Amino acid sequence: MAMTISDEAYRALEEAVGEENACREPAMLDSYCWQPFLNMSTDLWVQRPIAVVLPGSAEEVQEVVRVCNAHGLKFKALSTGWGAHNGPTYDNVVQIDLRRMNRIIDIDEKNMIAVVEPYVCGGELQAEVWKHGLNTHIVGAGPHCSPLAGATSMHGCGNDSIYMSTSSRNLLGVEWVLPNGEMLHLGTPGSDAGWFCGDGPGPSLRGIVRGTSGAFGGFGVFTKAALKLFNWPGPDEIDSEGLILDSTGGLPDCSLFYNCQFSREEDFIEAAYRIGEAEIGYMFVRMVTSEFVLLLMPHLFKKLVKHRAIMDLLDKTMAYPFMILLVGSTERELKYQEEMLNQIVRDCGGMAMKFNNIPPAANLMGMNLLRCTIFGTVFRSGNMFATNLDGNEALTTQTDWCSTMEKAKKRYIQSGGLLDDGSDNPYMITYENNLFGHCETIYLYDQRNPEHLESLEPLGFDTTLAAIEQCNVPLAAFEPVTRTAMSPLAGNFNRWQKEISLAFDPNGVSDTGLYTDEKEPDPEKIPAEKMEHFEWLKARFGRKG
Amino acid sequence: MSVADYREDMQGCVRCSSCKWVPFNHMKSHRFSGNCPAISRFNFHSYSGSGRMNMGLSVLEGRSELSEKVSEVVYSCQMCGACDTACKSYREIIDITEVLLELRAECVESGQLMVEHMMTLDALKRENNMLGEPKAERGAWAAGLDLKDINKEKVDVMLHVGCRFSYDPELRGSIRRAVRLLREAGLDVGTAGAEESCCGGRAFELGYRGEARNFADDMAARVKASGARYLLTPCSDGFAAFNYLYPLMGIELEAEPVHMVQLLDILISDGKLTLENPLDMRVTYHDPCHLGRMSEPYLGGWKGDKRDRLRSQSRTGRFGIYEEPRRVLGAVPGLELVEMERIKEYSWCCGAGGGVYDAFPEFATWTARERLEEATTTGASAIVTACPWCERVFTDAVGENGFEIKILDVVDVVARAVGLEEEE
Amino acid sequence: MSPLDNELKNRLSAAVGGESVDEACEILDGYRAADYPVAPGEILCAVKPTSLAQVRALVDLARKEGLNLVPVSSQAPHHKGGSFPADRGVIVDLSGMDRVIRVDRRNRVALVEPGVTFEALAERVGPLGMRVPTPLLPKAGKSVLASFLDRDPILIPRHHFDMTDPLLCTEIVFGTGDVFRTGSAAGPGSLEDQWALGNAQKNPMGPASSDLVRIVQGSQGTMGIVTWASVKLELEPVIKHVHSIQSESLEQMLGFARELMKRRLGDEILFLDAVALSAALGRGDASDNPPFTMVFAIAGCERCLPDRKVAYQEADINDIAREFSLRVSDGIQGTCAGDADELLSKSSPEPYWKRARAGAYRELFCLTTLDRCPELIDNVRGIIGRRGFADDATGVYVQPVQQGRSCHLEFFICYDAADDALRAAASDAVHDSAAVIARAGAFFSRPYEPWVGEAYSRCPDTVMALEKVKGVLDPDNVLNRGKLCFRGGETGVGS
Repeated sequence: MAMTISDEAYRALEEAVGEENACREPAMLDSYCWQPFLNMSTDLWVQRPIAVVLPGSAEEVQEVVRVCNAHGLKFKALSTGWGAHNGPTYDNVVQIDLRRMNRIIDIDEKNMIAVVEPYVCGGELQAEVWKHGLNTHIVGAGPHCSPLAGATSMHGCGNDSIYMSTSSRNLLGVEWVLPNGEMLHLGTPGSDAGWFCGDGPGPSLRGIVRGTSGAFGGFGVFTKAALKLFNWPGPDEIDSEGLILDSTGGLPDCSLFYNCQFSREEDFIEAAYRIGEAEIGYMFVRMVTSEFVLLLMPHLFKKLVKHRAIMDLLDKTMAYPFMILLVGSTERELKYQEEMLNQIVRDCGGMAMKFNNIPPAANLMGMNLLRCTIFGTVFRSGNMFATNLDGNEALTTQTDWCSTMEKAKKRYIQSGGLLDDGSDNPYMITYENNLFGHCETIYLYDQRNPEHLESLEPLGFDTTLAAIEQCNVPLAAFEPVTRTAMSPLAGNFNRWQKEISLAFDPNGVSDTGLYTDEKEPDPEKIPAEKMEHFEWLKARFGRKG
Repeated sequence: MSVADYREDMQGCVRCSSCKWVPFNHMKSHRFSGNCPAISRFNFHSYSGSGRMNMGLSVLEGRSELSEKVSEVVYSCQMCGACDTACKSYREIIDITEVLLELRAECVESGQLMVEHMMTLDALKRENNMLGEPKAERGAWAAGLDLKDINKEKVDVMLHVGCRFSYDPELRGSIRRAVRLLREAGLDVGTAGAEESCCGGRAFELGYRGEARNFADDMAARVKASGARYLLTPCSDGFAAFNYLYPLMGIELEAEPVHMVQLLDILISDGKLTLENPLDMRVTYHDPCHLGRMSEPYLGGWKGDKRDRLRSQSRTGRFGIYEEPRRVLGAVPGLELVEMERIKEYSWCCGAGGGVYDAFPEFATWTARERLEEATTTGASAIVTACPWCERVFTDAVGENGFEIKILDVVDVVARAVGLEEEE
Repeated sequence: MSPLDNELKNRLSAAVGGESVDEACEILDGYRAADYPVAPGEILCAVKPTSLAQVRALVDLARKEGLNLVPVSSQAPHHKGGSFPADRGVIVDLSGMDRVIRVDRRNRVALVEPGVTFEALAERVGPLGMRVPTPLLPKAGKSVLASFLDRDPILIPRHHFDMTDPLLCTEIVFGTGDVFRTGSAAGPGSLEDQWALGNAQKNPMGPASSDLVRIVQGSQGTMGIVTWASVKLELEPVIKHVHSIQSESLEQMLGFARELMKRRLGDEILFLDAVALSAALGRGDASDNPPFTMVFAIAGCERCLPDRKVAYQEADINDIAREFSLRVSDGIQGTCAGDADELLSKSSPEPYWKRARAGAYRELFCLTTLDRCPELIDNVRGIIGRRGFADDATGVYVQPVQQGRSCHLEFFICYDAADDALRAAASDAVHDSAAVIARAGAFFSRPYEPWVGEAYSRCPDTVMALEKVKGVLDPDNVLNRGKLCFRGGETGVGS
């Protein structure tokens, strides 16, 4: 099935990390291969690594990388490791599990910066920085994800992006083990000047670390990162009982939680723009009403979804809602934000519901929203979800994206290729006072259902086509087929990625499967008419030069 | 049941790693954020609840073999159930604990055994207890207490002391105090004395299904013969076995299992025990896994797709015994109860369970040490618990590591507050 | 100066449409930085492309001929030396590419060519109720794009989320001659296609897994030539109250400012020492000024309940000031409201405000954190003093960036342009200071002469990595050769 590592190479790995921190037992290696999330393949096992190592320091990571260079092996690092993108794509990959590197190196309260190692998860960092009156951006995927991985290697948007931006833009100083085993410090740590900046001297090498997407472990190993922290006027900790759904941790006094509803898209968008102009809001998410039923009461939803009238009542009468959390350091500030929000909602013909006044809702949303735990309940309906990963652009384009993908999804739902979630299942957030936005359409499936798995690749291709029609490079461009399709239409970006990769990785030891490798669509899975449409789109939207 | 019966549970794992941490809305610090001793100690994903299921699926699908190393990983686990609870925060379709139990049974079935466990089982079969002590001395702890003998007379409350309390000389004081407290409250209980034997719960956890069933059948028969309405035990392992493992094995008890702290809580609230002596102490309470989440009653096997299962139809660990010991400690005048970060259904394990104490004593002590460090951060002078296995491993760890903290059973605290005189 | 080869001149001329090749000394002199601290490279000529195609043609020609192209966007006079070749070179003067391609009120974004100045853009967006994020008193004729590409610090830290701000998407011609668009402008489709769909070139990240705009930003023209960029705009306030705080203790004021920025209170926030305040306000005497003044504004915009916003912010800020035992003053002491407002919103009058003070200046700037400023300021003042400069010769300006997580710390030594001894002393003082503050934690994110050597000597691993990237984006080393760390010889990309 998989190639095996030579005794000599394995011994060298053991020497690098210590015998107890290296492994080549097949079943244990397989525990790194079961990766159903963001896995477009019908086989949910990803390529088995030939060994797994657990380095405890950046120096040990360097040693492992050197061993890979010396023995013609590839490597791929993972932090918290959720998703198929963490796994190897080649058959000679040493998986570097960074779990032992889990220190919070520093919390610089004055300058609102934390320095962390890869395995610190978002929930841990938030718990610590709250004690300093600060907060950390937690990605929408949840608090179990590594902030370092998000900032250096993955996507990184979240409910708090309106206030705390996105992971890639929160990255400051970086410690990076390059594919040749050399160490590179980006920005200030490179000049022994602290961790407060990752750019310079001169050109910023953050430019090769990542873009909208990261290199997904295909370009060295990031061993420390400094991240921005943000104001948190709330308590050091919020006492919470229960397990998410029966949670009792309420909203802190410094916050107000509103659900605002609009019946027309243009009103929703206008309200979102104005919220951005007013610079209010700590979290902002667009989810339709039925999504809450789906998350919280999947069994009820299963019945409701069969009743069009009820679904329409839920989703179409007030089709454009957003949740917004207002946080103020003083009562004055909070009051201003609240007045401003209500004014905007009124001006835009919407309706604002204050959840603080509804204890069950406040209890449920308190910790679950602040720590971003509620969204994990999306697993409850189908067991698995995926999302079409769009790009980021002006707010208007993001609602369009949602509508487009809703239509694409519907066809699969009708043919039994996906679970019926009512189709309209958006997750839209905004960045930096609504400077721009991001929208995904969630789809639900059961990874144990072969029919569902068969849908994933064609639906992924539909997403690519929709992205081209939208003139946008989707976040999904980390996936080889999407990358191959998009690159020529967007300045041949993969040419530059490949050339930079080659410059730093002459021996090709990084697993570049999700960074630079290319793959044509599988004609067995993509209908001919879609391929024809693709060709037409290429001609229509391709740029010369 | 077999591992194959849990294929869908294993396939349902999304590898999110939630099983490695306390449920996130309860996370209060980086230091004490973990919930699983095995992944915290050994780090490879295969040591987590998720990783164990991934390995199980790999073996089931013939991708890999159940080797000696795999068996070692499977057994490097206290069966504390923390992964199950964390996973259940997000979904109802996976019963990790049951998968882990099946993996252990599979190890036994295929001969991949831990030598230490074989020795324990040999001793169990020979002496009817997990410690390998002579069965004739099982009732020695009760010398002079004049307890009713259920072998000779019917009782309303049958006391099952369990292996550890029966034989551990350092813990003997606690169990004797428990009986004296019951007397103080006017409650008469009976025991099987030397005829008491292991409940079989640990054997089941180790995967020795046949032996476990034998002991469980014996237990059920003894309970039935005693005529007891209540099966009282101070052993949390036993309590979890009665509530969870027995129904899982299809064994019905004709008495209601009651843990000693539950009874003390009732006796105190009913005014049968009066806690008059102030105890000027700051203590913290350790929730034993088997009194907490693992004691949540078995809800029956689920036929069909677990996606159809309601939340109330899956065990989450929320309904273990959490409030009773806190009420008891709260009733002690002068005593200040300070909580650790990881409590109740997301409590950190003591380290002793699942056969780890026998096969991997260093890992057991490491786990206990982690808990004791957490306890010391509260400023408590004592860690109070309600399980002899927890008390044993904590006592070992305190001794080896120089912690300045006392290990007490809830019974010990109540006895002092009641003013029970120390025995000579 | 060597005469330009006629054949080459013809080719250059052809590349830029048959004209616009300047060789006249007086014109070329305009590209030289006044008081540039190192020996200049020779300027062969200046060419003025007006389109992307012409820029590409120039790069292609440079690759064939081994030319060194030095892109320049701002109008003369030049100060920092970015426009000045380190090696014999051709100035690519982009100031003629001065179209404001698009302004989008709703998305608060403008798409501008390199020659668009702050004044021109402000004039264009002002009537739409918007303003341009600006650095402190940019020189007249300063290119918006050049300023943002150089990471000039803007005055409103709250709006400075990341170091790329306010720069968003760009169109770049690399040293290979390839054209690449960054961010969401990357494509697919033309700009017109994107606009038709509602896209507004708002997302600065990507495309995909690289952020090549970050490589070009701060590169002083060594990695690519930017032919347009989208930039963030902000709403023009309808109420704006300028305040100041003056204190003997800079630390105290810094603590106060940190709290404001943490809570995102206030708009512009900056610190000027007595000399810098006088210079910025165009006053001569600094002796009446307190050692440091923190200037900040509180503003409210239309449709944003401006009165309510200003009222709550003023109340909150006053509370914070009390906690720090500071008193907030309206306006800036001794200055009328209009002057104070202009300080925060206008370009510098001519001569440039730092030069106006004594006729010449030498500057040193770095990035650091606010808490380190007092120590660094003491260090530099000590060194400058020991070089014989009076206290009132040195100005200090602190501009918080990245929402207060770091700050631009700038020193400028003013001296008589005719005094060679002072010029040399100023040069030495800057050189020595750079070495001292680098050891104390200053970071030279924008490495200019004379501290460029100091900046790169501290990070050999960064230099190694930058050389590799340069080798990809400008393999023939035709872009601003010899600048930054790309100095030939050991760099492997030498001239």
